[in-house]
Amino acid sequence: MHKSGRGHRDKVQQFMAITGSSEKAAIQALKASDWHLEGAFDVFYSQPHIRTVTDSRHLEELYNRYKDPYVDMILVDGITLLCNDLQVDPQDIVMLVISWHMKAATMCEFSRQEFIGGLQFLGIDTTEKFRDKLSYMRSELKDEQKFREIYNFAFGWAKEKGQKSLALDTAIGMWQLLFAERHWPLVDHWCQFLQVRHNKAISRDTWSQLLEFAKTVDLQLSNYDEEGAWPYLIDEFVEYLTENGIVQSHQN
Amino acid sequence: MSAQKKRNFKIEAFKHRVELDPKYAERTWKVLEHAIHEIYNHNASGLSFEELYRNAYNMVLHKYGEKLYSGLVTTMSGHLKEIAKSIEDSQGGLFLEELDRKWGDHNKALQMIRDILMYMDRTFVPINHKTPVHELGLNLWRDNIIRSGKIQTRLLDTLLDLIHRERTGEVINRSLMRNITKMLMDLGSSVYQEDFEKPFLEVSASFYSGESQQLIECCDCGEYLRKAERRLTEETERVSHYLDVKSEVKITSVVEGEMIANHMQRLVHMENSGLVNMLVEDRYEDLSRMYNLFRRVPDGLSTVRDVMTSHLRETGKQLVGDPERLKDPVDFVQHLLDEKDKYDKIINKAFNNDKSFQNALNSSFEYFINLNNRSPEFISLYVDDKLRKGLKGVSEEDVEVVLDKVMMLFRYLQEKDVFEKYYKQHLAKRLLSGKTASDDAERSMIVKLKTECGYQFTSKLEGMFTDMKTSVDTMQGFYTSQYCETGDGPTLAVQVLTTGSWPTQPSAPCNLPAEILGICERFRTFYLGTHTGRRLTWQTNMGTADIKATFGKGQKHELNVSTYQMCILMLFNSADQLTYREIEQAIEIPAPDLKRCLQSLACVKGKNVLRKEPMSKDIAEDDAFYFNDKFTSKFIKVKIGTVAAQKESEPEKQETRQRVEEDRKPQIEAAIVRIMKSRRVLDHNTIVTEVTSQLQSRFLPNPVVIKKRIESLIEREFLERDKNDRKLYRYLA
Repeated sequence: MHKSGRGHRDKVQQFMAITGSSEKAAIQALKASDWHLEGAFDVFYSQPHIRTVTDSRHLEELYNRYKDPYVDMILVDGITLLCNDLQVDPQDIVMLVISWHMKAATMCEFSRQEFIGGLQFLGIDTTEKFRDKLSYMRSELKDEQKFREIYNFAFGWAKEKGQKSLALDTAIGMWQLLFAERHWPLVDHWCQFLQVRHNKAISRDTWSQLLEFAKTVDLQLSNYDEEGAWPYLIDEFVEYLTENGIVQSHQN
Repeated sequence: MSAQKKRNFKIEAFKHRVELDPKYAERTWKVLEHAIHEIYNHNASGLSFEELYRNAYNMVLHKYGEKLYSGLVTTMSGHLKEIAKSIEDSQGGLFLEELDRKWGDHNKALQMIRDILMYMDRTFVPINHKTPVHELGLNLWRDNIIRSGKIQTRLLDTLLDLIHRERTGEVINRSLMRNITKMLMDLGSSVYQEDFEKPFLEVSASFYSGESQQLIECCDCGEYLRKAERRLTEETERVSHYLDVKSEVKITSVVEGEMIANHMQRLVHMENSGLVNMLVEDRYEDLSRMYNLFRRVPDGLSTVRDVMTSHLRETGKQLVGDPERLKDPVDFVQHLLDEKDKYDKIINKAFNNDKSFQNALNSSFEYFINLNNRSPEFISLYVDDKLRKGLKGVSEEDVEVVLDKVMMLFRYLQEKDVFEKYYKQHLAKRLLSGKTASDDAERSMIVKLKTECGYQFTSKLEGMFTDMKTSVDTMQGFYTSQYCETGDGPTLAVQVLTTGSWPTQPSAPCNLPAEILGICERFRTFYLGTHTGRRLTWQTNMGTADIKATFGKGQKHELNVSTYQMCILMLFNSADQLTYREIEQAIEIPAPDLKRCLQSLACVKGKNVLRKEPMSKDIAEDDAFYFNDKFTSKFIKVKIGTVAAQKESEPEKQETRQRVEEDRKPQIEAAIVRIMKSRRVLDHNTIVTEVTSQLQSRFLPNPVVIKKRIESLIEREFLERDKNDRKLYRYLA
């Protein structure tokens, strides 16, 4: 479909001049955004800057290095080795970010598809490139939107396969980790509250709504809306905070 | 007479103007003036109407209308001034009479004058926009007499004084009063109002204000209201006798305001005689009077109603919280019914069946009945008591009346599902122990519940009845098939209960005695033979047995016992003495049940077919039990089983409540799903409202529970939160 009218040609020229991309890339981006320049820029820049072509042979080598001898997956030992190579602590939150990029189904294992696909997307085919990418990945946690995605991804990733809810201990561990990146002063009270009052697994809804709560409700709970359809656990948490004098009650 | 030539007779107008010279006009006027004088001097008989009329007519015709009219005014005014003087001069009591008499005279005179001057009245007056004669006469009277300085005040004072005297008990001349007030009314409604009515109302107000202050200090409520009522009647009567009918509303509202409205609170709350006392003592007459008086004033009825409501709520609250009362559930409910009856009667007899009072009664009952969360259980126990024995000998209509009254209480319950649970339990016990006094009454109750709550509520209950009937048929079939095998063995009567319809019982173990195992097995085989694919479990905690027992001196008795008790007693066929532990081992029923059975067999006077050592009331592990040879009873048939429904113990109550809460969860979820399915997207608060309204005929759902159910449904992927607005939920198909 070569429908390049005069207007389209101008846009392609403009695009190439601004982004420095090839004509092919320009047309691709513009088509994807229905020939709107602004949209086309978004499309272009949301792709990894260096759309390097990864060498599939290298990727195979890399995968095989970490793969378990008996199963076609990377398991705990492989991950330990990977962390070693990357000079990263296995508990480091960047592992979560990596898993997110790979769309890993469960923590502590990667399937072939997940590993190779993820690295391809990130443009990594050697350990050095991997190491170089780490700081970028850490920075992604600072982005509001990405943090939310990673946070919500963490639920499915951290829970047991086949379970609907997340075990409390694991949840607490994840929260500690995540809220170290994006500071929420009430996180310790929250975890304490759960251990004392709830002592059961956490549902997905509660998990995702907690982030909203942390983001929108201030530390004195002055803008907490009782009618706000928060999950009941969060309602109970607010009660817990007021009962224990951690927060002044706002009875009106 | 010779026939004269007919002349055409024509009437022609004057061809020439008939001039009336001024002197003639003056003379004519003088005649008329004289006539007026004579009329006022009661000398009218000597006058010729025709002549005078003609004179007046001529004057008007010859354009002397103005002279005539102004002459009339002057002359009449002159007379009136004289009359005023004579009225002023009258002494004391004669004042009104004089006024009345002169008024009568004036009217007569005015009539005559008007007749005489009719032509002027009809022609000159309207053309020149003058006041017609009659009206003129009234106005002149008003201005010269009524509004004359001395007369005006004296008139008002006299009238008010007379009324005051009448109010304090004197008799006055009512017809004279009527004439005077009629005079004022004739002079114009504004005259009546300004010159009499307004001051009358003011004076009355202060009179009644004073009187009411006095009375309220020395009378009790009933007395005061009687007096107020009397005053109102009096005033109405006064109006009908000598005041303008339009004054009635005004004066009665003054009395109502001063005597009732201003003292409402004090009256209603009067100690020892106020509304509450009247209610407690069923003083219908006083209550009725209060109702009728208070309804006349703004907020009157609402005051009465509010006090009644808070009294009801208070007494109701006390009733449902009184531990003494709560000891006997049947008595408790009877009290509730009696209280309802009492107030129904009051509203009927004294409050005119006023709907707003009915509503207040209903809302009060609803309020305090639900304060006690055992109300559903107790009401069911009441019905149980009535259906067992309480309705024997009562006619069919009366049965209906009692059940209808119970249904009224039922309607007040917020937790109807709790009632359902208990009703089922109690019904099961009644059916299984054969203790229903009247099948018709049972059916009638079910029908009423169905009408109130729908088919869902009663389908299981009806299932229970069906099972009972089917079991009878089953037993017949069983015995026909076993005819050769019965012989001397025990007779078995089985009720086969469909699990879903009957209250769930946890199955407890129990070792049945060998003597009956045989026939039990045969029944099982028989039943399963005709109903393959079903599973039967003996409910040993619900059965009864009749045992023939022979005691020491050969006395034979027939003992009616529970299945558990039967198992225990049969053990004594092969042992004279057994310890608690041995019994427990042999029978294997749960310890609390075992202890209760042993207590009922050994520790109850008149039913102690077993002897216990030591003789304490409590059962200890080492207690020994003996067959009581020395047992006596004047009855051949002795009933020992305790299968009657009793109010639950604390732990049982907790358990039932828990089961109710569990049952509510799926109902709430079903309601949420129903609502979301039809509305697709809904916000949280609306869901809560809708669910509550859908379920309120059964129970009042707790919003926190609703929220938890929503979250559970989110987890099971029936619903999801909207991505942009967390308060919105979306139905997932």
